[in-house]
Formats: sequence, structure tokens, C-alpha cells
Amino acid sequence: MDATIEVRGLRKRFGPTVAVDDLSFTAGPGRVTGFVGPNGAGKSTTMRMIMGLDRPDAGTALVGGRPYRSLRTPLCKLGAMLDASAVHPARRARDHLLWLAHANGLPARRVDEVIELAGLGGAARRRAGGFSLGMRQRLGIAAALLGDPPALMFDEPVNGLDPEGIAWMRGLLRSLAAEGRAVLVSSHLMGELEGGADHLVVIGRGRLIADTAVQDLLEAASAGRVELRTARRQEAMTALAHAGATVTATGRDAVTVTGLTTERIITLLTGAGVAFTGIAEHRASLEEAYMELTKDAVEFQAVTGREAP
Amino acid sequence: MSGTGRAVRAEWTKLRTLPSTGWLLLALAGLTVAVGAAVTGSVDTSHCTSPAGCQEDTVRLALSGVRLGQVAAVVLGVLAVGGEYAAGTIAATLAAVPRRGTVLAAKAAVVAGAVAAAGTAGVLASLAAGRGLLTGNGFTAANGYPPLSPLDGPTARAAVGTVLYLVLVALLALGVGTALRDQAAAITAVLALLWIVPVVVQFVGDEAWRDRLVKFAPMPAGLAVQATRNLDRLPIGPWPGLGVLAVYAAAALLAGAVLFAVRDA
Repeated sequence: MDATIEVRGLRKRFGPTVAVDDLSFTAGPGRVTGFVGPNGAGKSTTMRMIMGLDRPDAGTALVGGRPYRSLRTPLCKLGAMLDASAVHPARRARDHLLWLAHANGLPARRVDEVIELAGLGGAARRRAGGFSLGMRQRLGIAAALLGDPPALMFDEPVNGLDPEGIAWMRGLLRSLAAEGRAVLVSSHLMGELEGGADHLVVIGRGRLIADTAVQDLLEAASAGRVELRTARRQEAMTALAHAGATVTATGRDAVTVTGLTTERIITLLTGAGVAFTGIAEHRASLEEAYMELTKDAVEFQAVTGREAP
Repeated sequence: MSGTGRAVRAEWTKLRTLPSTGWLLLALAGLTVAVGAAVTGSVDTSHCTSPAGCQEDTVRLALSGVRLGQVAAVVLGVLAVGGEYAAGTIAATLAAVPRRGTVLAAKAAVVAGAVAAAGTAGVLASLAAGRGLLTGNGFTAANGYPPLSPLDGPTARAAVGTVLYLVLVALLALGVGTALRDQAAAITAVLALLWIVPVVVQFVGDEAWRDRLVKFAPMPAGLAVQATRNLDRLPIGPWPGLGVLAVYAAAALLAGAVLFAVRDA
């Protein structure tokens, strides 16, 4: 029960803009829940409401079943990194963690432990102002782990990291979930979560678009699509369309077929005497599945075609 | 340790781990002593018909450096909260201590403690410096000016009152800083509030109006606590004067606390 982050009917308006609109979801224990949506979709606002930084206009956010503001030692219930750059530039990294520890009655020993965990080691006595983005991220991670919390929340944790940093972050998120913790991690790039998240909460314009296991989403996006390679594209398309399939040409010798099983396609083509060089069930990427989900909800759609003739 | 105790400890750690805190406290004590000594050293009995006729309030003279030293107290009070908004650490602070009232109370406690310590050092050193300088300038016991001593009743009241004055100014700044969130705006606002009446009053001819203004302005009223001579001629008594400043500080803290509680962080 402790290791959950739960949001029920959350709503928040800033002036005329509805930032979060009747949003409900749960990030459960033992899994990484990806919180995905385009920029401005309301991810950060939702996370700020979970932490009690912004007050919702309606609805509730619960951490381990309780509102964040009612927690006596909140760092031991929810560890969060919302903005890694939010450290005082003149304060030493270790001191930043030390005051956080003091605020929740944690021993200084724990500060040194998380410094090691986050790989800050030698930089701990340096002033945070001189830190690179990667070092700040590590300091933010150290702060989130300080209270050894059962639930964790990261806002765009890999934003701006180099590939090595991204791999490190992904491994860390996975291992935190493997320890049974609830991990909620936001991103505006679905690709960043590929291989990292077990579950997805997708939002657009503050509304819930999908709340689904990654596996189910990929299966749904891939479902029933078969990719066919043949030099005799036109004949293949005609034969398959006659059998009731929806056929789309995707390349000079490539065709995507929906509405027929792979087996049936092979039978039809063989019967019609159309040779082909490859046939495979389509496997959608996470990015592809996501684009399909959010194509109607993208707030700042790129204006394309303006320069086209 | 209680929640408030932990919050106070955290705020203290936060305050002492910033290099600016040490410099500001040093500036507070240093400016108070240096300016006090400069003013005291520049006054002697030669301009009066007789030394006793000067009627100089030597305690007030020796402690006059707080007029400048208080600027450091203002900056410290504003930075304690404004620095958090500038750096973005206010989110981390509220993540660790979600109760707004506890956060502000803890900040008030550590700012008050730090300013009281530096203020005490500055005030005692100012009295010591004044004691030496005054005797050299003719303000001797023989002329009716006993040497300054923090154990003397009115002098002790002026000394304690001056330390409290600095603490209240810092709390006023903390309240304004919490309400405005912007450091530059808050420092400007507090300094303007402190100095506007002392500046404006010079251009007011009518004495009754001058007294009225001085009575209700935070700095002139608050500094009445330094007076040790001719108390009956003051527009406002020493403790009531300090009380006026306390009302300003309390109002600013209350406004800050209310805004802090109802606003999104």
C-alpha cells in the first residue's frame, strides 16, 4: 500500500488554460510507470500536485494512500526529482543533502551513502554551481533516494543526458522497481522509455489518453499488420484487396496488409502465382504506438507544408 | 525531535552552509562598530558653550552605526527566503517540510538567532569603542558623562533594544521577502520602508507633523529604544517605539505567511 502514487480526478487550471483535466491513474509497486505526453501536456503540473507544491482545483493525489502535505517525514515516503537544476549554486553538494536529511531526521551517515549510490563521490564537497547537468542529475537522484522511499518520481530525468548517462538512469530506474518500489517517470519522448518502462500513462492537453501495460500497447499497435515484400507489388495488392484486405503500399516493393492473417496471405499469393521475397508480422516501436495515440492531442503541432509549393 | 525542531535544524544547516551568511553577519557587526565609531569620533564638546551643556546622548551616539548595519540584516532576512525562490530550492524545502507555516517559523527562528548573535557582538563592541572615543573628546564623568557601560540601566536597555531592533528589521525583511518572492524587489521595498520617513521628515516644517510621522515609522520609532537622555522630549518612548517596529515586522510576517500558505509554490 505504501508503494503507490495515486491520482484521482485531478484538475488544475492556470487562468484560462486547463493544465490538468480530470486525470486519474495509479503508479503501482514493483514497476516503472512511464508518464508520457507532449510538452505542455500537464506532466510537471501533475507531479507538482502529487508533491503538494501546487494545489489542485479538484481531485486528490495520494502517496502511499495519504496526501503528501499530511506526511510527517515525506522524504521517507516519496523521493522526487522535479528540477535537477534547483540547487543553490553557492552550497556544497553534500550540504544540500545534509539540510534535506536534517529536515526529516535522517542521519548524516545516510547522506554519505546516497552520495556513493548516485556516484557523486569526489564532487560531494564541491559547490553545486559548478556542476554539469549530468552531475546535477546525480545530485537530484541522491536527494530522491535520501529517505529510502517506497515510491519515487522523476520529471524528465534523462533530458539533456549523454548516452552513457541515459543508460545509467535507465538501469537505476529498473533496479529501483525491481526492489519493489513504485517509480513514476515522465518524458516527452517515448523512445527514452523504450526498454525502461513496464506501464504507460499517456496524457495530452491534461487529459488521460491511455493507461496501459507497455506490452499491451505494442501488441495493439502491431495487431493484424503484416508487412510484405514483393517485386510484383501491383498484382499482390490487387489479389489481396479482392480477398477483403486493406492494403497500403509503403515502398517500391513493400506493402502493409491489414485484415488478413499471415497464413491466409501466403495461401492467396501462392494461389495467384505472385512471388514474394519476405513476409513478417509488423512489430511496432513504442514511438510509433505513441504517435498513433497522441496524433490528435499534440498541443504544439509543427506547422508543416507552409514552405511546400 | 519534533517536526518543528527538525525544520529549525534544517534551516540552520541551510543558513550556515551559504558563504554569504558569514559575510553578511560580519558586515552587520562590522558596519555597526565602524560607523558608530566614526560618528562618535567626529563629535566633541568644543561646539557647546560648556561640555555639560551639550546634552549629548552618548549611548545613542555610540550605537548610531546600526543605521547602516541594519542593511545587512535586511539582506540576510530577504535572502533566507528569496534565495530559495531564485535558486528554485523552495520546491525541495517544501518537499522536505510540506507545512508552510513550519517552514516560515523555522526560517524566522534561525534568522533571528543569527542576527541576535551578530547584533550583540556589534553592539557590545560599539559601546566599547564609544567609551574610549568619548572620553578622549571631552565627554568625561567630570562633565556629566559617565563612561559607557552595558551594566548601566538605560545603557543596558538601549543595548538590548538595539539588538532587538536588528532582529525585528531582519524579520520584517523575511516577511516582505516571503510575500514578494523576488530578492531585489524585497530589499528595495524594505529599505524604502525604513528610510522614507527619515528622509521625508527633513522637508516637513511643522513639528507636530514631524512627530506624528516619526512615531509611526519603523526606523525612527524603533530607534527610540536607543535614547538615554531627555526621554520626555521624545515623540515616542523607547519600548513603545520598538513596539511600533514589532507591529510592522509582525504584519509583514503575517502577510508573508498567508500568501505562502495559499499560493502555489
